[in-house]
Amino acid sequence: MNTLTRRNACALLSLGALAASQPAALNLSDLSGKRHTFPVAGKTTVVVFYSTICPISNEYNERIARFHREYSLKGVQVLVANANQNEPKDQIEKHTRDAEFEFPVFIDSANAVADRLKASVTPEAFVLDSKGVVRYHGPIDDARNIARIKAHLLRDAVDAVLAGKPVARPEAKAFGCTIKRVRKT
Amino acid sequence: MFLTAVLGLPAGLAPVTESGYAKMVAGHKGKVVLVNFWATYCVPCRKEMPALVQMQERLKAKGLVLITVSADEPEDEAKAIEFLNKTRVPEPRYLRKAANEDAFINAVEPKWSGALPASILYDKTGRKVRFFVGEVDLKVLEAAILKLF
Repeated sequence: MNTLTRRNACALLSLGALAASQPAALNLSDLSGKRHTFPVAGKTTVVVFYSTICPISNEYNERIARFHREYSLKGVQVLVANANQNEPKDQIEKHTRDAEFEFPVFIDSANAVADRLKASVTPEAFVLDSKGVVRYHGPIDDARNIARIKAHLLRDAVDAVLAGKPVARPEAKAFGCTIKRVRKT
Repeated sequence: MFLTAVLGLPAGLAPVTESGYAKMVAGHKGKVVLVNFWATYCVPCRKEMPALVQMQERLKAKGLVLITVSADEPEDEAKAIEFLNKTRVPEPRYLRKAANEDAFINAVEPKWSGALPASILYDKTGRKVRFFVGEVDLKVLEAAILKLF
């Protein structure tokens, strides 16, 4: 087995393990404090973990907004979530205004969803198909600098899921900021 | 530039690719090696760097080598050098030059998500001993290093 094949196999195994123990619900709060339960049955769902202070994440604000706009119109449930325990609600509200996010953002209190999905960096995206199975885990694309993008990883994954096709690259990694988790004793 | 000359520090960062990483570490066999991945945009990275430099100063006689690898974009190399010089970070100092970021991260450590900062400790034979993500606990790190001399 060559390196690439082995890596893909590992990725599929880890995603498979995650899917097999997929919980019924991902619980997120909106900025008013109201709890919401996802995924919505029958809908492809994308969870994007972001940060208000991570410079890499902030470089993706416009890309996140564009993705949200375009894929919401295609019927995808796009959830932009903040799991950082060091980013208070008022800071998230201000960032939402400053970044001109025209969609609700969610707070992953106690980073339960990040823990469940094994998210560790911002920005980081997950694609769940209509059965709640994780089909992609990784960055939005393969370059911070828009001019150097070679692969639109998140878009390609969602397009494949919507078309009922296998995701060519189900897992990828990129440099990012750590998700600042709540301390658990 | 003036500071670089005064401190005798080189002007550029050496590039390291996914295929060159193992060679970079192997080049220091016989020493305990701590590789620290950082970036100028990473606040915790900048925060922990002075303490890592102090540790390197304290333990270099015993055989510790601190290798820093900046994950900055090529256009931010000058900013990275400015920080390293200001913080008096010694050589060897690298800039990651990944043709494929995913492949680079996996080549360094398959369990690593790419979150910064990250530090990897190698023993004198070049064997990976510990992997730290996020700001490292200096007491834990130093204890792990001291076991390797």
